[in-house]
Amino acid sequence: MSRMLALLGKELSELRRNPALVVPAVIAGGLSMLLPFIVAIIVPAATGERLSESSDLEIALEMYGDHPALRGLDPEAAVQAWIFQQFLVLLVLTPVAGAMSVAAYSIVGEKQARTLEPLLATPLTTFELLVAKVCGAFVPALVLTAATFLVYAGGVMMFAQPGAVRALLLPRSLAVTFVLGPLAALAALQLAVCVSSRVNDARSAQQIGALVVLPVTAAFILQITGMFQLTGPVMAAAALVLVGVNAALMLLGIRLFQRESILTRWK
Amino acid sequence: MDDLSFALEAGEIFALLGPNGAGKTTTLRMLAGLIEPTSGFIRVGGQVLSRHAAPRLRGRIGLLTETPGLWERLTVRQNLLVYARLYRLSDAAAAVDEALEAFGLRDRGRDAAVELSKGLKQRVALARTLLHRPDIVLLDEPTAGLDPESARDVRELVRRLRSERRTIVISSHNLDEVERIADRVGVMRARFLALDTPAALHARLFGARVRVSLRQPAAAFADVLARAGFADIQAQDRMLSIAVDDEEGATPTIVRRLVESGAEIVSVIREQARLEDVYLRLMERRP
Repeated sequence: MSRMLALLGKELSELRRNPALVVPAVIAGGLSMLLPFIVAIIVPAATGERLSESSDLEIALEMYGDHPALRGLDPEAAVQAWIFQQFLVLLVLTPVAGAMSVAAYSIVGEKQARTLEPLLATPLTTFELLVAKVCGAFVPALVLTAATFLVYAGGVMMFAQPGAVRALLLPRSLAVTFVLGPLAALAALQLAVCVSSRVNDARSAQQIGALVVLPVTAAFILQITGMFQLTGPVMAAAALVLVGVNAALMLLGIRLFQRESILTRWK
Repeated sequence: MDDLSFALEAGEIFALLGPNGAGKTTTLRMLAGLIEPTSGFIRVGGQVLSRHAAPRLRGRIGLLTETPGLWERLTVRQNLLVYARLYRLSDAAAAVDEALEAFGLRDRGRDAAVELSKGLKQRVALARTLLHRPDIVLLDEPTAGLDPESARDVRELVRRLRSERRTIVISSHNLDEVERIADRVGVMRARFLALDTPAALHARLFGARVRVSLRQPAAAFADVLARAGFADIQAQDRMLSIAVDDEEGATPTIVRRLVESGAEIVSVIREQARLEDVYLRLMERRP
């Protein structure tokens, strides 16, 4: 444990000394956050049309009409709540995309800087190395997720209809943000670290790790079109699957991490 | 690599010599537990360096890699502190302070590694290698690219390590340096072409020679020694070089014959060929 913490501390120190690494994630997060505000507040205000009068958004009223926590909301607030909640899924992915570059460089970056060999010559085990490397990207992603959520919820509270923010504080929303999102992020980052230990180019790791965005984006589209709902049982099943995927990825990472190949084939 | 068998003693400096691609770095990596031999084994203090035991045994080994491999954005102190914690030193901060002091880096602790000169980076890398006081020290090209003063410091450090009874393995292209500090030398090209002390290697390849400096031109005395039964005599200016089978037995005879024939002897020494000659002779041989 102490070795993992030592290496994790080094990862975070390097990140602190190179904050530019998280700037793309912050910018992407800011832009993603803007999108639901444009859809739910700016466009209706500019056109003078109410969202609750649109037949396309009847689904929102159906969904929230019976929800005990949201019962009694003004129809316009209910539609806004629905929009803000749907976009939450995409929002939690943004920090992952940002942290992906950190994970993708984690092993290959050490290889290129010629700092990996002295590290491998210490008593550090492969498991300790991989956990520290994944956490080095995961911890900033978690911090960004929490920060993004707080800013998002603050923005909804300030600019949306009264009560709309309650949709973000539902157990379902919180589970998406702080359980499913981080578990998906962990899987993506583990995949990127695995690939990073097998390639000579960080871009390859970044591209393959980014594939995890596809199923989440698909879930977002299916959900917004009403074809699929993240109900409690679905989320519990998804969480279990993600825990399994993360455990499998760690085992795979240890198996794929070939010290000899890394040392002898690097260029 | 093929059929590398050797044993190292505590307090010994062993040098690996060979051209690029001869397997010196691979050998060091095997000794460091980074690469497993495809056949055979490595024992460290009686324990086999297996994949399972490697993490534990690596705590007894210090490896200086070919490049310093410092985290450039971190300070010198941070670089060392991470390693002190990776080796689980009981008081990591104190160990780092001690290393900074020992390697003359106390004033550079707060500097980012990227700001250091090549010589200073190498010094930090050496401090990192020895931070956990390893019994076995593996040094891959420790003086490559260093200025003469820094290279001398490294040589002195290596000698000091020997006096502390540590086992040191050096890979180097610097034959002069190896000759000065190594107890034994392994000349390799995928396998050992020769393995012995520098003096023994020279004697084996070139035979022993005695060099006599005279006050007079040397050519006139070559015949005197030829008549005394010496076959290989080289005379140049005022110096004679004579090949001998038995140095201790032949030297008094040489001196007596020369004095008897009127030669005024200035000095008599055992001729020491350079390691470079030994190395080049071995490399000329077909693999």
